[in-house]
Amino acid sequence: MKAAAGLLVAVLFAAGVARAQDALDCHIASGWEPTGPVRQYVADNLYEYKDGAADGYLIYGFARMKSIDCKSGGDTLTIDVSEMTDADAAYGIFTANRDPKLAIAKIGMGGQVQAQSALFAKGKYYVEIAEVAANPEADHSATMQAFVAKIQERLEGRESAPEALEWFPKENLASVRLIPESVLGLRLLKRGYVAKYAQGQAFIVLESTPESAAEVLKKLRERFDGAAPAQIGDEAFQAKAQYLEGICVFRKGRYVAGYANLPEARDAATLAAKLAARIP
Amino acid sequence: MGAGSRMGLGQPSGEPDAKAGSPVKLEYRTLGRTGLKVTTVGMGCMITSDPSVIERAADMGINYFDTARGYQQGNNERMVGAALGARRKQVVLSTKSHAPNKDELQKHLETSLKELNTDYIDIWYLHGKSSPEEIPDEMIEVQQLAKKQGKVRFTGVSTHSGQQQLLPWMAQKGVFDVVLTAYNFTMDASMDQAIAAAAKAGMGVVAMKVMAGGVRRQKPGDPLYKKLTQDGALLAALKWVVNKPNIATTIPSMTDMDQLDENLKAMGTPFSTGDEKLLTAHLDAIRPLYCRMCGKCDGACQKGLPVADVLRFLTYADGYGQFALGRERFMELSAEQVAVRCGDCAECTVKCPYGVQVESRMTRAQELFA
Repeated sequence: MKAAAGLLVAVLFAAGVARAQDALDCHIASGWEPTGPVRQYVADNLYEYKDGAADGYLIYGFARMKSIDCKSGGDTLTIDVSEMTDADAAYGIFTANRDPKLAIAKIGMGGQVQAQSALFAKGKYYVEIAEVAANPEADHSATMQAFVAKIQERLEGRESAPEALEWFPKENLASVRLIPESVLGLRLLKRGYVAKYAQGQAFIVLESTPESAAEVLKKLRERFDGAAPAQIGDEAFQAKAQYLEGICVFRKGRYVAGYANLPEARDAATLAAKLAARIP
Repeated sequence: MGAGSRMGLGQPSGEPDAKAGSPVKLEYRTLGRTGLKVTTVGMGCMITSDPSVIERAADMGINYFDTARGYQQGNNERMVGAALGARRKQVVLSTKSHAPNKDELQKHLETSLKELNTDYIDIWYLHGKSSPEEIPDEMIEVQQLAKKQGKVRFTGVSTHSGQQQLLPWMAQKGVFDVVLTAYNFTMDASMDQAIAAAAKAGMGVVAMKVMAGGVRRQKPGDPLYKKLTQDGALLAALKWVVNKPNIATTIPSMTDMDQLDENLKAMGTPFSTGDEKLLTAHLDAIRPLYCRMCGKCDGACQKGLPVADVLRFLTYADGYGQFALGRERFMELSAEQVAVRCGDCAECTVKCPYGVQVESRMTRAQELFA
């Protein structure tokens, strides 16, 4: 029985590997050849490859990575396909690594292609392609586009960004990213999305139940001296704090959300009310 | 402008700007030949996402902040630069480049300066080097040129492995001011010797990975996870490093205010008997399984098994459920090594100084993979 279960796990693992493996084929772009076998990494040995930057993957729910080097003439590029714990985690690490100055292109759930690199997320996969160029000024964006198009075809999974992103008001929105732990630098806010605006930032944290969300809000309120109640969502408070400045936090069902870093608490409350109206 | 001309600009190069009224006891050490006075607890910013944690750390008196060009594709440098803002000149700011060649290294420096919103970097590291072969002279020349141009005050190398070879080489080379090295309570005495050699040569030593990978690298159920999540274990691990006199500062990663407050307690607090018990208990728990990659078993197997490698492959399967990866790596060994069966030997010639049960672990690997 145990052996059969082990075999099932091995088969399922092999199936997951096969999907990423299919995407890791240098031949999918004309004229490119692999320079060696596909390498694979898990949390325990990711440092062998991403020496010094492995924690940046681990914090986002990294499961495993497959990587290959491809060569064409004098050009070499590396393709990394990371499998994250779920699609939200894959989109999350994409939001952390994307260039906030560039728009997000419709590649899988979202992606960006530049002169010497590309990255995108599709389903639970996060893909990075980087040219190892002799000339750092060379433009390889056409090559990047070609690989991105083929790789994303071969990966399964969700192609729409997380729903919560739509709830942030779009006016003056600079960027949105998933914060994998300690939203606003507060351990109580475990994991959620943060939207940066021309002024201030909004956040949305999903708790498992309305009761746990209420508990988080209660403990949060206790951290802010002079917190005053506000009439937003199911319950709310506003305060002025040293580093988060004008802040307003509300609970709506399982969500704990709000605005921070506004000049005054009342400014944060005004915007928080608009955000609450957008959360279903 | 040379590095020396910056010394009088109110930067933290002389006596520290003690934080009057700071609620924590700050402890400073001199960072080797740089002369910089740094707090023994610094801040690794790699996974910090909210700038308020960096702002508060600086306001609390922490004066060493570390980032890298490669963190979050450069987004981390941008965030750190913005968070420090006007505090920039009151702190020591280090960044690193993983550039593979001198042209890219030069380009990385310019980008780092721009993203960090500064006209100089206090310490510029070559990122993640494991051997002297990975540090060609042309990279050192770029570092030295940057120093002459005043874009960089001091240079160094960061390393996660191979320190026993790399640090003595750096000490002998004499051109590096600082080394940033992985260092924690799970490591053996050879690491202390390598660090002592670096410190004796005048290099400032900065420690990272001080919490042995913390809890992020572990999974619930792993012995390390259970131990490190106990109250006080992470602080004990940090105190263990902070109390080593050859370490000038440490850069634990911090994502929130609570973690910051906890880590600040490591300054000026002796490593207690209770801390020692906590860490000893942790080591006892993992001893039969956990390879510290000390290298003492290299060549010890009479049948030629690379013991440390096989232990690692076994960890992939047993610790992470990655049987396929473990087997793939195992099957990359030579045919002779794959064919070895430990049961055929009358007695195992490999004795792990840390108590890893080598024979039983090798046998398990052979049963599982071969």
